[in-house]
Amino acid sequence: MSLDTNFMAQVFKTAIAGVPVTLQIVLVALIVSLPIGFIFALVRIYRVKILSPLVRLYVSFVRGTPLIAQILIIYSAFPSFLATIIGKSAFSIDPINYAYIVFTLNSIATLTEVFRSALQTVDKGQLEAGLMVGMAPRQTFVRVILPQALVSALPNITNATLYLIKNSSLAFIMSVKDITAIAKTQAAFSYNFLEAYLVVWVYYLIIAYAAELLFWFLERYFSRFQRTTTAKSFNWHLFSFKQPTTTVAAVQYDPKKELVNHAHN
Amino acid sequence: MLTIKNLTKSYGPQQILKGIDFQVNQGDVITLIGPSGSGKTTLLRTITTLEKGDGGTIDFAGVQGELAHLSKNDIRTIRQNVGFVFQNYNLFNNKTTLQNVTEGLVVAHKIPKAQAKTIALAALKKVGMADYVAHYPSQLSGGQAQRVGIARAIALKPQVIFFDEPTSALDPELVGEVLKVMRQLAEEGATMVVITHQMNFARNVANKVVFMADGQVVEAGSPADIFDHPQVPRTQQFLAEILSNV
Ligand SMILES: Nc1ncnc2c1ncn2[C@@H]1O[C@H](COP(=O)(O)OP(=O)(O)O)[C@@H](O)[C@H]1O
Ligand SMILES: [Mg+2]
Repeated sequence: MSLDTNFMAQVFKTAIAGVPVTLQIVLVALIVSLPIGFIFALVRIYRVKILSPLVRLYVSFVRGTPLIAQILIIYSAFPSFLATIIGKSAFSIDPINYAYIVFTLNSIATLTEVFRSALQTVDKGQLEAGLMVGMAPRQTFVRVILPQALVSALPNITNATLYLIKNSSLAFIMSVKDITAIAKTQAAFSYNFLEAYLVVWVYYLIIAYAAELLFWFLERYFSRFQRTTTAKSFNWHLFSFKQPTTTVAAVQYDPKKELVNHAHN
Repeated sequence: MLTIKNLTKSYGPQQILKGIDFQVNQGDVITLIGPSGSGKTTLLRTITTLEKGDGGTIDFAGVQGELAHLSKNDIRTIRQNVGFVFQNYNLFNNKTTLQNVTEGLVVAHKIPKAQAKTIALAALKKVGMADYVAHYPSQLSGGQAQRVGIARAIALKPQVIFFDEPTSALDPELVGEVLKVMRQLAEEGATMVVITHQMNFARNVANKVVFMADGQVVEAGSPADIFDHPQVPRTQQFLAEILSNV
């Protein structure tokens, strides 16, 4: 068996049109889900009435179902639902919008857990220290707790982003013309599936690698205050992707660390 | 200056503080001693409003009221007039040594930045940490961190500074540098309440020793009274145990 390198070069050229599509899905999902995930995490930590159990339900629902099922449900239910409101034009909406919705909803759940565990890793003693120098709980939260929580959230945000990049390849199911979809279509003409998939693989590798590098710079910049204890350098090897879900899932709910103990103050 | 009457506090069904009267006068250096679990930390935390008391009254810094029903304003007043030095230092990890001290001055006490810096540098100099202004807490030894913790507290010129076992988390060779700073503060007339197992400090620096057990003040008096002529068997027993360990 030999690889048809001409065909690969051709796929490489045409699939590049899918790169902006993939990036768009990832960026839109990230930009929307970061703030919402953060707010949801606060809702959980401060046990906001009514909302907190709803967020919890939402998170467990999203995390407990396969992404592919979420995609199929949104893609089949949402257009008809929309049609009852805006009529038949609902069926001619660019499918990338459904990709935005699915991947955003999915990321919100992941990032809620990321922010929640990050906020709980900051020792609440520092909050008390803030109160004892006369600062309000909110001031201490914003100036002391939050910056540290964001730094400790960064590795897991990186992981969530890498997963998002890779998961976005499932957008082809919704007939979104992303990298995967374009390569698949081309391969279907000539049955050169292996070659097409190798090209897809390389594209995702490049994108994920670039994302990892970007986040590494962010991490390094924002964790200046811990420079001595964790002198991290970027791991230049390929295939070094962190295995995400473990760290997120391993953080168990620990009421002793709850910042909420001070809500009454 | 600070008067607490009949303070009670429970965690769940367990009563931790069983009606405590506690008085601090200007210039007092009071050491609070007692077995582990007797409620010393809880007493300090309740007085400083880190915990809410169930019953009892406070009279301090113009606030007179029931500890269970302090207004937001009362709580703020109390907090702005006390200093607290924690067992685990609790420095702000994302702030430098200097920022750890200026933070409260600027954010809570609204002192202009330049002036706050001058005050902070003076406080850091007093604890021997003026050479470490740009260090982050992760770059400091335990003894250095605790001295920054003390500088952070004294910079605010609180009426009373509370210390909760300030040397317990330190390696033995670092205890001395922190005790030295505390002794110096006492000599300068600072009003201090110190939970400690350092009996030398209790005997030689304090003017008053309070012995607590089981959520109650068992005995209080001058160091000579408590160490040389303890009246209550419980006190005698505790001192015998702790002094035999050194
Ligand atoms: N947040 C808390 N929740 C429940 N029990 C607590 C809490 N803090 C302290 N206690 C209990 O209160 C008692 C007194 O604790 P503490 O004031 O820390 O004693 P000390 O400082 O004298 O060792 C202990 O039995 C401790 O277990
Ligand atoms: Mg204690």
